Amino acid sequence: MAERSFSRPVLALVVVAGLLVGAGSAWHTMKRGGLRGAGSTGWVGNTSAGSVDADPWTRARIALTGLLALTRSQAIYFTTQTDSAGARLTEQCRYRVTGGPMPARWWSVTVYADDDYLPQNEDDALSFDATEVRPDAQGQWSALVANRPEAGQPWASSNKAGQYTLTLRLYNPAQSAQDNLASIPMPKVTKLDCGGAA
Amino acid sequence: MNRKVIYLLAFAAAVGLGHVGTILAAPRAIMQVAIQKMSDGGKRVNQFTFGPRTTSHSRGVVRPSPDLLYSSCVYDVSRGPIRVSAAPSPDNGYVSLSVFDARTDNVAVFDSNQFPQGIAFVLARAGQKVPEGMPVVISPSDRGVILDRRLAPSAELFARVDPARRADSCAPL
Repeated sequence: MAERSFSRPVLALVVVAGLLVGAGSAWHTMKRGGLRGAGSTGWVGNTSAGSVDADPWTRARIALTGLLALTRSQAIYFTTQTDSAGARLTEQCRYRVTGGPMPARWWSVTVYADDDYLPQNEDDALSFDATEVRPDAQGQWSALVANRPEAGQPWASSNKAGQYTLTLRLYNPAQSAQDNLASIPMPKVTKLDCGGAA
Repeated sequence: MNRKVIYLLAFAAAVGLGHVGTILAAPRAIMQVAIQKMSDGGKRVNQFTFGPRTTSHSRGVVRPSPDLLYSSCVYDVSRGPIRVSAAPSPDNGYVSLSVFDARTDNVAVFDSNQFPQGIAFVLARAGQKVPEGMPVVISPSDRGVILDRRLAPSAELFARVDPARRADSCAPL
């Protein structure tokens, strides 16, 4: 026989539990919702960042992980938490970042720890940017992200970054880049070695 | 209705409410915390604060760029419009002034590409009387943040760019 009555205290507990689960799922969406990866590159961008037209989920995610982000006419942001093979970026490994000409007035790549702040190291090498790399005749450049520098290479330190993310900023992006993020030639992040292994 | 079904439906509805409510409330709540921090608890409003060079210890706002020099003005236009201006950087280096409302939306941005001689505009609420001859930005909220970003990826550039931004202004008309 079906039970037709319910306990109000139990119902209240169920509702509170549901609210907490809902808030938790929202927090997870805000923290990780934009970092699922796109294609084989792992870089994720969003043309609505900072925009008044952003959907509520994008607005909430940007508020938590990229507060005061500019709209795409001024800057486009991409973030990756994985290397080009899909493995999580970690300070235990060294990575080569390679790319070509970027469709912007200026660009940079910055290391952020898992708490969305800069890693707590004193290396004074938190990023590398368009003014540091030395492109070859074809415009191709490379840089190192690792816990120690390498002679002659632009370097961003991953010391004390734990499992981290890289953020690519394109300032004053070309109109073609604003119109179609997929047209932007994203840098490749290649793992060199881990734990000092050759 | 079966008691378990009632509990299940109540749980599902509460999950949805908790999720959507958090998503909708988070931007304003996060911005409110940022405004409190950036205005030193409300003491520094309608005036620029010139931040130090970004380092690993910079924890005012998430994901700061170590290549940019930030200055901020927490604005309050509830009592009338304000005039905002920024002087150019040496060698026409990148400068932008961006306006963020209480919901975190970037409602306006001006940069040194558009205004190489310096940026100036009036910020107001809809319906407020504003002077003619200057760009006017309408803020959807009384309070928000104006951010001055300047390219300064090295200590040498910081030393050159820092004096230029000291001419920035954010004050009632």
